[in-house]
Amino acid sequence: MEFLLQMRKVSKTYPGVKALDGVQIAIKPGEVHALIGENGAGKSTLMKILVGVESADEGAEIEFAGEKVHFSKPIDATLKGISIIYQDLSLFPNLSVAENICIGRENAGKGYYRVQWKQMKLLAEKTLAELGLKVDVSLPLGKLSIAKQQLVAIARSLAFDSKLIVMDEPTSSLSSGEVEHLYNIIEDLRKRGISIIYISHKLKELFTVADRFTVLRDGKFVGSYDKDDMNEDKLISLMVGRKVEVINREENKGGEEVLRVEALSKRGNFKDISFSLHAGEIIGITGLVGAGRTELAQALFALNKPDSGNIYISGKKVDLKSSGDAVKHKMAYIPESRQTQGLFLRQSIIDNISVTVFDQMLNRFGFIERAREKQLASEYIQILDIRPPLAEMNAGQLSGGNQQKIVIAKWLSTEPKILIIDEPTNGIDIGAKTEIHKLLRRLTNKGIGIIVISSELPEVLAVSDRILVMKQGRISGEIAAAEATQEKIMNFAVLGAG
Amino acid sequence: MKSFFKSKEMGILAVLVFLCTVLSVNNPIFLTLDNIQDILKANSVLAILAMGMTLVIITGGIDVSVAAITSAAMVITGHSMKLLPDSPISILLALIIAVASGLIIGLLNGTLISRLKIPPIVTTLGTMSIINGSILYFTNGVFLNSSNFPQVFIRFSDIKLAGISILVYIIALVTLITWYVMKYMMIGRSVFAIGGNPVSAVRAGIHLERTQLFVYGYMGFLAGIAAMTQMMYTKSVDPNGMLGFELTVISAVVIGGANILGGNGSVWGTLLGVLLLGVMQNGLILSHIDTYWQKVIVGLVILSAVSYDYLQHKRAESKQLKVEVQA
Amino acid sequence: MSKFSKISKETMLGFILVALFILMSIIAPGFLDAYNLSNMMFQLPELGILALGMMVVIVTGGIDLSITFTSSLSGVITAMCLSGHFPVAVAIFIGIAVGLICGLLNGFFIAVIGVSPILVTLGSMVLFEGINLTITKGNAISGFPDSFGNIGNMSIGPIPLPVIIFLVLAAITTVLLNRTVWGRSVYKVGINPVAAQFSGLNVKKVLMFVYLFSAFMAVIASIIMISRYNSAKVDLGSSYLLLTVSAAVLGGTEISGGYGKVIGTVYAVTIFQVLSNGLNLLGIPKTVVDILMGVILIAVLSLNYVSARMSHNKSIKQSIKSSSSENICF
Repeated sequence: MEFLLQMRKVSKTYPGVKALDGVQIAIKPGEVHALIGENGAGKSTLMKILVGVESADEGAEIEFAGEKVHFSKPIDATLKGISIIYQDLSLFPNLSVAENICIGRENAGKGYYRVQWKQMKLLAEKTLAELGLKVDVSLPLGKLSIAKQQLVAIARSLAFDSKLIVMDEPTSSLSSGEVEHLYNIIEDLRKRGISIIYISHKLKELFTVADRFTVLRDGKFVGSYDKDDMNEDKLISLMVGRKVEVINREENKGGEEVLRVEALSKRGNFKDISFSLHAGEIIGITGLVGAGRTELAQALFALNKPDSGNIYISGKKVDLKSSGDAVKHKMAYIPESRQTQGLFLRQSIIDNISVTVFDQMLNRFGFIERAREKQLASEYIQILDIRPPLAEMNAGQLSGGNQQKIVIAKWLSTEPKILIIDEPTNGIDIGAKTEIHKLLRRLTNKGIGIIVISSELPEVLAVSDRILVMKQGRISGEIAAAEATQEKIMNFAVLGAG
Repeated sequence: MKSFFKSKEMGILAVLVFLCTVLSVNNPIFLTLDNIQDILKANSVLAILAMGMTLVIITGGIDVSVAAITSAAMVITGHSMKLLPDSPISILLALIIAVASGLIIGLLNGTLISRLKIPPIVTTLGTMSIINGSILYFTNGVFLNSSNFPQVFIRFSDIKLAGISILVYIIALVTLITWYVMKYMMIGRSVFAIGGNPVSAVRAGIHLERTQLFVYGYMGFLAGIAAMTQMMYTKSVDPNGMLGFELTVISAVVIGGANILGGNGSVWGTLLGVLLLGVMQNGLILSHIDTYWQKVIVGLVILSAVSYDYLQHKRAESKQLKVEVQA
Repeated sequence: MSKFSKISKETMLGFILVALFILMSIIAPGFLDAYNLSNMMFQLPELGILALGMMVVIVTGGIDLSITFTSSLSGVITAMCLSGHFPVAVAIFIGIAVGLICGLLNGFFIAVIGVSPILVTLGSMVLFEGINLTITKGNAISGFPDSFGNIGNMSIGPIPLPVIIFLVLAAITTVLLNRTVWGRSVYKVGINPVAAQFSGLNVKKVLMFVYLFSAFMAVIASIIMISRYNSAKVDLGSSYLLLTVSAAVLGGTEISGGYGKVIGTVYAVTIFQVLSNGLNLLGIPKTVVDILMGVILIAVLSLNYVSARMSHNKSIKQSIKSSSSENICF
């Protein structure tokens, strides 16, 4: 059979908008097929239709393994051989590994009412062995590392005899070694004739692992291409439909020292961290996942108290006891996960921006003035070009890029001297990414010292003046931006100092 | 087996054993078969209801109407028994009436929660109000004593097999059935799945609504059995007797280590929680401590148990090394 | 349909209240009599003040099961001081101190240690009842000076003093919640405690004050109650516990936290009062009133569910009109 899966004339209309318009995709057996597009291009809607979470408009044709199919529930798709591994893995930390693998068919699918523990154990061990993982399958899943949990998710697909597996951003929480392991597994799966639809924003990865690419833009099908006919630039311009400019980095003078860290250590988090940050400078901190970067950032912001070491702000030693303290010292922290850590999704843009500066919103009686909050919000909506510019709109309804702008706005309003930003453009499309990078550089003109933590090397190279590389809780190397290359950084990240 | 020793249940068992030791040293009466049976019989209703509540709490829900459902089942069955003949079939009929009453109300809760998506605490608050009001309206608070029950029922309540009261067997049976459901039945596993991650559960094909209907229905079913048990123990029906009891049931389950947010819990933990509360009360009585002090002690025990549990959990979390720091 | 969803649920509740009031005036004999109106106005504040305390706790995503026993414990202690011939002001002061200690206990376990509120207040509720029992041995305490009796029984013009106290407290609560840093933080902690912490808010302090606040409300309610009944007992106000939760929820407070308006709670408490008084005048037994309360609670929440679904669909429209459709959550 030439194609394992064919989707044609797939449209999806929600009240007021067409999320998908006549999209098509064709997957061959045993191929790794990358599905690419900006946020909002329709990738996840297409996949939701495929696995039965959503249903397409009339006229859509979906053929799988030669037969016409239409799934109304995810479990139907799973039973037919199509499974999806969500970015958050969708597993149960409170259940055992074996149960996670067999969930939905603990009765061995034979219609027994009784849970077949023995058979579950065997099946779990078998599928994990195929992936090269040996664990006690009766352990609660929550005790395993994220990388191992991901293998469990894949094992689940295998347990259901999946012929097609959709992987949504599979490497977002993996360290470089674990990513390699994942590639090997994908290669194995491919040899067994299993196809994979691979969704990712990390273009470099896609070129390593994918055979063919399908590009979507604004809900429409742009084209399907073989790897050999493609390169990164072409891909980006197809996704975006316009040329993307590279940021010009000006020579940075660097002002006085705003932050100095000496021998900061915390057991199980990081050790012996020392560096200093100057006004108007951007330091990029990078390294593999699990190197301790976020733990360090949170320690600076008093969310993760260090065991020893000193922190100096503007030359004075400080002992920060709480995040409130850190704010008082003109620090700002934009966390890794904007939705769960940075925003109050149910509240308006106004409420999200004013939360850090309540003391500026008080009138002479000490009460908060709504008018001032509104004004603050409209200022930042304008400065940062937040769309749609409706201050009363709930933060939860905006796109990822705009949500990130709200988080940035809320911290800019505190007029910080030190800004720590963790994964600034995680899950944000190319257009918005560049906007945020430009914004960060603009902020340096105001004399703010910025620490950018990122696992995306191109991003780190694009914005930083200096780059610190962390490995296993320590700083393994420091490079000035002018001399930095991705290889040098990876060297420090993987091999360490020396 | 090793994991058993490290589990929460072990902690509670240790406390229980310690308590029993102290009590038996101070009061030789404590460790007699009679006294132990007394403890079990006195807490049979608590044990039965706590089993059902465990399932409810594992799904992340709660049912504050349990005491009301039990009372309703008692009242309905008690008054029906006035009309029943004095033959063994009456016992069976009474059981059916009790269980059916409880089950119907439980399914009502389940339907409101699963279909209308009203938060469990609010739904069961509402039904509790409705049920208590109804009971009072129809009974006017009238107490039924044993003269209303068929003789055969009274004799049935006093049955002992191998010297152990039938009530203890009922507790054991309910515990075993609940254990079996939780471990070996698909619907039992789906209770854990939904408690652990409701979104993923639905994606994996688990019926959220069916499971919720089941846990609240099962709770109602057990309330019916508890009603029978209570009538067998007290040989009477007191329509107001169980007011406020729902909180005791919840206490037993959380002392037993179930996570109030859902996803974790076991029959054994709950049983230990019930025993702990029962032994404490018994011990206080035997030691002739003012009944007034009992509540103080129970309150302190609850506070300690839940804090300890929480702190353990936090410690385990922080022990999980986030970074493998290079030496 | 869109015009329908523009009316807030609190306003809807206000309409229901007015409609109910009119209905009762028509069908319940003597409803509009000065005697009955006075009755209602004297009874309402107890539940109302407790409901205010409970509402704030629920907004943070918690619950305070110990509120009524905090109330009775501080009431009993105040009563003991009064019957022991302490000056009224001193007795009240001591009562408030006792209540705040109860709140401090709750706050310690919940805010500082971090244990789940339902569990902590379950324990403290039993504890407070126990302490109360050991002190009173179940007996009532009475014998208060006349001046104290004024608090619960006096009126200023046509309006009973308790109502004035209640309205003042309601107004203060509204201002606290809307216009102070603490109040705003209460909502944020209820919606997303992690984000609140990460935004520099002192979540521990916010929560501590929340439980002190509910304890304070409990004390004020107890003072009014013991003044009205001229005695204090362990079970003072114990039947109010579930009513306070019902009132808060009926009033639009979301049980999962993050949303709640004082005016909604006030409407809800008044609805309960009007209903119970009216039905009483109609000769309907109290038990049926209880049943009706339960039915109304469930009915109103079902309505909320239905209308929330409608407005959710509306907001999907809005979000699609803005840049991306990626944020539709299922």
